[in-house]
Amino acid sequence: MDLTTLEGNIIGVISDEFKKEDFEDKTVAEIIGNKVNQALQMVNLDSLVKNKKFQELSSSDKSKVILASKLHQKVIILYDFTKGLNQKDLAFYKRLFKKIISYNKKIVLVSKDARLFINNVDKIYVINNQQIIYETDSIFDKKIYEIIDAPGIVNFFYQCENMGIHLDEYTDINELIKAIYRIKT
Amino acid sequence: MKMEDNVNYCIISNKIDANLLNNLEEYNIINDDKTYEELLKIIANYVNKKIVFNDILRKFRIREQKTIMELLKLRNVNFINITSDIEEALYADYLYVLDQDVLVMEGKTSVVLKEEKILKRIGYGLPFATDLATQLIIYNVLDKPYYDLESLVHDLWI
Repeated sequence: MDLTTLEGNIIGVISDEFKKEDFEDKTVAEIIGNKVNQALQMVNLDSLVKNKKFQELSSSDKSKVILASKLHQKVIILYDFTKGLNQKDLAFYKRLFKKIISYNKKIVLVSKDARLFINNVDKIYVINNQQIIYETDSIFDKKIYEIIDAPGIVNFFYQCENMGIHLDEYTDINELIKAIYRIKT
Repeated sequence: MKMEDNVNYCIISNKIDANLLNNLEEYNIINDDKTYEELLKIIANYVNKKIVFNDILRKFRIREQKTIMELLKLRNVNFINITSDIEEALYADYLYVLDQDVLVMEGKTSVVLKEEKILKRIGYGLPFATDLATQLIIYNVLDKPYYDLESLVHDLWI
């Protein structure tokens, strides 16, 4: 399955069939190649890490280095990118991904972490046996949650629906709070 | 970090690396190369009192995580869970919150999760249910904190 041919700008792929790259024993500078300082700055990493070996990095820094090494590519494919990232990191990368696609690039995020997809991807594919078995444009599509867990805000939406409370499909907690406030008062 | 018996710990870290793991080398560390089935088998045959999860729970679905927690309880094994995902804090009795290599906060889970500003400033945020409840308390819609979504949704609309 050639992930570079998938349609979309920032694409989520739910699959077990793709493995994260391993760069054991290589230094960060060797992995990134050209323009190492610039690439590290772009992914919010200190240039001091460039002489470190990949296995010496924290799990979140490993993901950042892999992203930095692919910034020159037309289609950037990232596997299991959220390992070690917290909410603030995720928000930073979502902003960065939007900036990257503005340079006419495409990003493919192979992950089972829906936190990475929400407010980020414009298309989600489920791939099994090297075939697309399902595709959707919506993070609220129930079908994908047969395979992965829904992010909290989507889960909340479904639980409210089960109780007969219909809310709009909010992906921002502040908007959701205002909506609840309006209903309750 | 002091680890007592019969307590489940969560170490929230944004720098999970060899240095952090070296501090826990006296325990059996389970890395994220294990499958769900392999982890269940390890716990089922586990003879020690404490097990360390190195950012492995994130790989599993919530229902699988809950099964792991139940099995640990059944086997009387306590855990130290290292993670960057604040949602996993809710499984633990006691939290250590690190920012890079620095211990920023520690304490009972319900006490640490009250420190919304600090947790958000470091970047971990709050678990979704706790965050929503915290904001709804400010709006006088709820009157107590919540740590699970089911109870929150139930109390909100009943």
